[in-house]
Amino acid sequence: MKKPIYIFSSGELKRKDNTIYFENEEGQKFIPVENTSEIFVFGEVNVNKRFLEFITQAEIILHFFNHHDYYVGSYYPREHLNSGFMILKQAEHYLDAGKRQKLASEFVMGASKNIQHVLRYYSNRGKNLAEVENGIKNLEQKIYACSDVEELMAIEGNTRDYYYKAFDYILEKPEFTFGQRTRRPPQNNLNTLISFGNSMIYTIVLSEIYKTHLDPRIGYLHATNFRRFTLNLDIAEIFKPIIIDRVIFTLIGRNMITKDDFEKSTAGIVLKENARKTFVEELENKLKTTFNHRTLGKNVSYRRLIRLELYKLEKHLMGEEEYKPYVASW
Amino acid sequence: MFIILVYDVGEKRVGKVLKICRKYLNWVQNSVLEGEISDAGFKKLKLELKRAINDQEDSVIFYILRTTKYSSRETMGIKKGGDEMII
Repeated sequence: MKKPIYIFSSGELKRKDNTIYFENEEGQKFIPVENTSEIFVFGEVNVNKRFLEFITQAEIILHFFNHHDYYVGSYYPREHLNSGFMILKQAEHYLDAGKRQKLASEFVMGASKNIQHVLRYYSNRGKNLAEVENGIKNLEQKIYACSDVEELMAIEGNTRDYYYKAFDYILEKPEFTFGQRTRRPPQNNLNTLISFGNSMIYTIVLSEIYKTHLDPRIGYLHATNFRRFTLNLDIAEIFKPIIIDRVIFTLIGRNMITKDDFEKSTAGIVLKENARKTFVEELENKLKTTFNHRTLGKNVSYRRLIRLELYKLEKHLMGEEEYKPYVASW
Repeated sequence: MFIILVYDVGEKRVGKVLKICRKYLNWVQNSVLEGEISDAGFKKLKLELKRAINDQEDSVIFYILRTTKYSSRETMGIKKGGDEMII
């Protein structure tokens, strides 16, 4: 229900009249604080401590992205859902190799199933994807047989290699050929879109984690380390194919983003501001889309679906119900 | 639900009422705000407004739409405010 706000222009964010206020040369705007879930900042925006205090009270996360669309970090307000119990459970499942392996393989399985779901859609529409589908199926059979997480990561990587090959058959556009996956910086148009989309889904999942008792620092497929949040990367694996990649196919298929929307910079290929807005708008439409959830029998949005996935994980950690990843089914 | 709020209050209380409404809804033009709101948010808003207005002199009207699916909006002239989530 609460909406995220995306700020592309530069200006100042303030607390004013007990709500959020954005001001720049072009004008001013009040943003209803009670109706805001998170704020994505792409422009050069100034904030002060008073504003951060206010945001903390309202439990709104600020996500920052730099000039090249890289995720910079988040202002993650003081944990409001503190649960020592859940952290212990999370750590327990991380430290026990068997338990960790179980969760990690479920994440990879979910990702693989959803990838196949997307591929099936396109092969039903006459795209020649049989080879890719077979390759991924073969890899899928090895998932539960892996002996450690590194092996799982390798399978996950190979699945993605196959999958990205399929992009060329699906899109059939010479200006959006995949080539090979390049990151930091991405070297062609399609890679730029994938990178941008991925950093968006990582932050969206992080926002959802913030609303649960889970700690984003402990992930299972992605090794917990000293640097970054990892649980959101795990969960995002499941949703990348059915959310981000579909948005990319829509954007390119309908010519909403064309080759003129990219420019070369010192840091590889970057998206122009208008295209970024188009991307975010389309993504937001996707997240808002509701569909009938089979097990719940209720209409849920994709954003809600992410949260439900986290609740399932919580249940698994507490030993109430075994975790099964979400697999798209329509 | 989606609500449209219009208010007509004494000059002294206009600022107060506007400030309260802006916390929950998007300002569209003088004395008119609109936006998606939760049941709880709506209750909170009404409670806050009740405290701010003088119920002998002022009036606030809520138009409540369960969904905006069957409604459409036409406008004339300039656009004064809005509900963009991309700024």
